[in-house]
Formats: sequence, structure tokens, C-alpha cells
Amino acid sequence: MMWRLAWRNLLRRRRRTLLTALSVATGLWVTLLFTGIANHNWDNMVNTSAKMGLGHVTIEPAGYLQSPSANKRFTADAKLLSITEALPNVTRAIPRIMAEGMIATATKSVGGSIIGIDPARETAEHNFFLRSLATGRLFHTADEPGVMVGIRLAEKLNLKLGKKLVYTAADVHGNIVSDLARVTGIFQTGVEAVDGGVILLPLEKLRHMLGYSDNEATLVAVFLNDQRRASEVRTAIIAQAFPGTETWTWSETQTEIAGMITIDHISHLFFQFFIGLLVAAGILDTILMSVLERKREFGVMLAVGSSPLFLFRLVLTESFFIGLLGLMLGVVVNSPFYIYLSRWGYNLGSLLPEGYDLSRVPLDPVMRVIYYPADVAGIAAAIFGLALLAGLYPAWKASRLPPVESIRSA
Amino acid sequence: MDNGPIIKLENVTKVYHQGKINVTAIDGFSVAVDKGDFTALCGPSGSGKTTILNIVGALDVPTAGRVTLEGNDLADLSRTALSTMRRDRIGFVFQAYNLIPVLTAYENAEFVLALQGMPERERRARVMEMLKEVGLEGLENRRPEELSGGQQQRVAIARAMVTQPAVILADEPTANLDSATAASLLSIMEHLNISHGITFLFSTHDQRVMDRARRIITLRDGKLAGDERKG
Ligand SMILES: Nc1ncnc2c1ncn2[C@@H]1O[C@H](COP(=O)(O)OP(=O)(O)OP(=O)(O)O)[C@@H](O)[C@H]1O
Ligand SMILES: [Mg+2]
Repeated sequence: MMWRLAWRNLLRRRRRTLLTALSVATGLWVTLLFTGIANHNWDNMVNTSAKMGLGHVTIEPAGYLQSPSANKRFTADAKLLSITEALPNVTRAIPRIMAEGMIATATKSVGGSIIGIDPARETAEHNFFLRSLATGRLFHTADEPGVMVGIRLAEKLNLKLGKKLVYTAADVHGNIVSDLARVTGIFQTGVEAVDGGVILLPLEKLRHMLGYSDNEATLVAVFLNDQRRASEVRTAIIAQAFPGTETWTWSETQTEIAGMITIDHISHLFFQFFIGLLVAAGILDTILMSVLERKREFGVMLAVGSSPLFLFRLVLTESFFIGLLGLMLGVVVNSPFYIYLSRWGYNLGSLLPEGYDLSRVPLDPVMRVIYYPADVAGIAAAIFGLALLAGLYPAWKASRLPPVESIRSA
Repeated sequence: MDNGPIIKLENVTKVYHQGKINVTAIDGFSVAVDKGDFTALCGPSGSGKTTILNIVGALDVPTAGRVTLEGNDLADLSRTALSTMRRDRIGFVFQAYNLIPVLTAYENAEFVLALQGMPERERRARVMEMLKEVGLEGLENRRPEELSGGQQQRVAIARAMVTQPAVILADEPTANLDSATAASLLSIMEHLNISHGITFLFSTHDQRVMDRARRIITLRDGKLAGDERKG
């Protein structure tokens, strides 16, 4: 009886019901869209930053995070790598060497970061520099005297494919050592500082020059199937107790990015809260108006024996239906955007300045959405909850109507 | 309890406060209505008829005095008990706009039974019989807006009757009807009063309606001005 009554009451004010449901749908649409875009941006940033060196989770020599230095190292042998790769959610564990040094040609020299990588283990999927290859190729083996340089660095030093450069760094004993390499490839990430100050060298060559033993590395970059699992994986790696190591998640090694994401996340919550308030205010207004319009009807219902609680529940049921209708409309409105943005994305490239980056991480110029089931469920539940909450006051109002005056008010 | 009057008002006074002005709508009014009575409440406009019916029906509370219904002092009952009493023991019929506009004639008549939690099947039998008794057979699925004023009042009476209440309170039930329709509505009320033994207390201005009442209580300025029994 109550459901039927509530439903027919909404049908009676068809246009108003539809408009209110549409405002719920719009609220859902806007929050879902923005959350999806933010999820993608954050995910993309974390993944790109992981591919620029440290992985989602980083196994490092003890004390490296506090004071990084090329003489801190640990044994990252095949056993450590295979144990790590066998952990749940881990897709890849890649040893790398990081050092600071000088890069020079006959005429000029500049300071830069040196990353030692094993070409047999690296792919474009886990290495943003390979993915950003502009010309040439990666060196074929870990001991080939080849080097990959950023495009700005190549311009500064007047380097071309096949040209030679000298790199210099401090070895494990603190001695200045240098070696020669031939440019095999040039990358272009779009980030000025990276393209102008990073070179990739073969892992074995660098080990040899810096005085590392076989299998020693500065870090193992661990890649996950989902960056949100970083803490879990970190705990699992720590449980393996690899000697002389510490393990950190991306949010601990890349505090700048983590901080940015947190701030963005908080501002998103505020934004969603305000959208929610707007939606709730709209529902409150409509339902309250509809209650005040039906004073006489409610008076009659009270007179023939409806309890105040019945009227309370009736009005709440009406806002329940509006919320439900709004959710369904919201799904319908949102679907085309979701399908388009998750499948193809919308390219904002022309609107963004060249080399747009945050904290040395280039941003994806394509607007996409990613939805996590928990987010969608949370947002839908919140919007729905707000619709019900907005019905509470009018419902209470209805239950407090004095029957006599309500009947007389016609 | 069965022997005493079904409705009893003792020294009932009702004062409305309108801003700084006090309006005494009912002034020390006492009356007793017996079970099975068919009583008209008469008096000029503003004399307090509606106020009395609302007080008897526990929709309004008197400023002073005592009201008992079937021996229960209304002042002793909680809000919930009062709404249960309205649901189970009293039937209301108002001058107009009685019905719930989104429900059909059938559903309006069924409404109170549903509130009582009566099973669907039993409800159906009772409602159909009641609608037949008030002459609305075949109009069950019409919405109030698709019914004439007289038909709407008959639905209201069916709704009031279908729970087999102790009392039906009707506030000028014929005021919006033409005289032929009013007469036929009255016939239905008389018939239900006689065959089901339900007590009727209704207010009216209309001489033709008063003529058919078996007892006429007259109000003037909220005071008892006459009490006449016929037959
Ligand atoms: N809510 C109220 N506030 C103030 N005064 C009221 C209120 N309700 C009724 N009154 C006053 O109480 C008196 C009695 O009103 P009531 O409606 O009971 O009269 P009535 O006999 O039913 O009149 P009518 O024949 O016009 O329906 C009138 O003077 C009316 O103005
Ligand atoms: Mg009146």
C-alpha cells in the first residue's frame, strides 16, 4: 500500500519527479566523471613515475632512502628476483643501478643522472625511457659500450646516434672513474629536466666501472598489477628478510607525488561533498514543497487512522524512489561517457603546454577514466544516502502535521 | 460500558488563540449520544459544529472539559492510541476533498483496512460488498477526479463504514451535493445505520437533512441551544 501510494504520488507530479531525479543523476554523473578522471590521472602518474626508475615498490640497500649514495648496494641475485616475482600482485622485479655523474664530449660537459639497466630484463612496459624512444635503439647487451641519452642532452652536447661520450662517477671507494660509450638511442619523455639530464647505461658496464660485485645493484624496481597494492607487497617483501635491504612503496620514495595525490584527493572529497549538498538541497526542496501541498490529504489520512509514522515512512519512501530513479538515470547518462573515455579517451594534447609535467613526471595528455568498484559503490551509496537524508526533514514535517488545521487548510 | 452513551461530552470548552484574540468556539457544551443514534448537529455558520466533530474524533483537543468515546476518556490516550482508535472505532466523512487523489475508489475504500493489516483476500470481499451497498458497483477503478461529488461522498462513506466502526462522524456530508444526490446519500446512511447499528453524528445546515435525523442538537455560539428527539 505504502509503495503504491508513494509511487503514484511521484507519478502525479511527473515532471517535478523527473527533474529531481535528473538532478540526482547529474550529481552522480559529475562525481563519477571527476572521480574516474582523477583515478586515471593518479594511476597514470604513479605508473609513469614507477617506470622512470623506482618501480611501484623499491627494494634498496639499508639507509639508502635517508642518504642515497652509489656505494650503498646489495646483492640482487636471480633468487631474490624470482622470489619477489612469485609474490602475489607482483608482475616484474628489475635490478637497476642509480648514480650521479658528469657526461661529457670533447667540447662540453653537464651533470646528470646515470641509470644502469639490463636490456634483457627491460621492456617498454616497465621502462618509460624505452617507451619514449625517439630514434635509434637500446644497447643489445648489458656489457655493450652503448648509451641512451635524452634528446635535450643530445642537443646540449651535440650528440647524434653513433657518437661517443664520456661518463664520470665516483666508485665504491670514492675514486673518480670514467668510461666511454657510443650513443645507440635517444629518448624524449617530454620532461625538460629528464630529457636534459638522464642517460641509460648497460648494467654490467656500470657495475664494473663502479666496483660492484656480480649481481649487486642499487635497487630492485618491483612492478605490480595494481599500484594500490603497494603496501601489501611491501609487507610481503619485508617478510622475506632479504639481507641488507629496506623496502619502500612509491608513496615513500616519491613523497612529492604522494603529497600531490593526497591534496588532490582531499579537494576531490570536498568537491563531491558540495555536489552532494546541492543534490540534497534540491531533493529537500522538492519533497518539502510536495508535503506542504498535500497538507489536506495528509490531514484526511491522519483522520481516518494513519499513524504519523505512516506518513513519515510514506514521504521517506518517495525520496527513496527519487533516489533510486536518479541512480538509474545516472547510470544511463554516465554510460556513454564511461565507454568513450575508458575505451578511446579524449585527447587534451592541444590544450596543454608542451612538456607539461608534475614533479618530473609527464602527464598523460589523454583524458581517460578508471573506475574502481569500491569508488562507484561508495559514490552511488553516498548519493542515494543523501537522497534519503534529504527526505528525513520533510518526512518528519509530514508526521508532525496537526490533523485539524491541515484539513481546514483547503 | 455498553449501557452508557457511546459519545459523551461534559462541559467541553474550546478556545482558539488567533494572535492576541481568543475565540471561544465551544463554551461549556455537554451532550451524550447513545449507541445507534442518527443525530444531526445544527447551527449557523461559526457555531462550532466542525469543532465538536473534530474533538469527538480526537483530531482536536478541548481546552477544558471531558470527552469519552465508548467509555474511554480521550485525554488518557496516547498519540498512537488515538490514531489506532480513529482507525478502528471511528469513521470520518468530510464536506469535500475526502479521498486520496492517487488511489482508485476501490483503493480508497480499502485504505483503512490495509492500515489495519487485514489480509488482501478478506479486504477484497469486504470492500466489494461495501461499494455495492453504497451503489458504486462497476466504478471501483475510477480515480476520485473521475467521480461526481455524490459518488466521491459515497466512496468516503464506504471507507468510513468498511471497518465497521462504532461511530461515523460526518461534517456537512451533503453540503456540496445537489438535493437529489444529497437525499440518496442520506438514504444510504440511514440504511447503514439501521442494518449495521452504527452510530451517526453529522453536522448540517440543510433543513431537508435535519428532517431525516432522529435527533437534532442545535448549537449557537458554541453553546447548546436545543436538543430535540423525534419519534
Ligand atoms: N483554527 C482556528 N483558529 C481560530 N479560530 C477558529 C479555528 N477553527 C475554528 N475557529 C473559530 O471557531 C468558531 C467555530 O468554528 P467551526 O468551524 O466549528 O464552526 P461551524 O459551525 O463548523 O461553521 P460552518 O458552518 O461555517 O462550518 C468560529 O468562530 C471559527 O472562526
Ligand atoms: Mg464547519
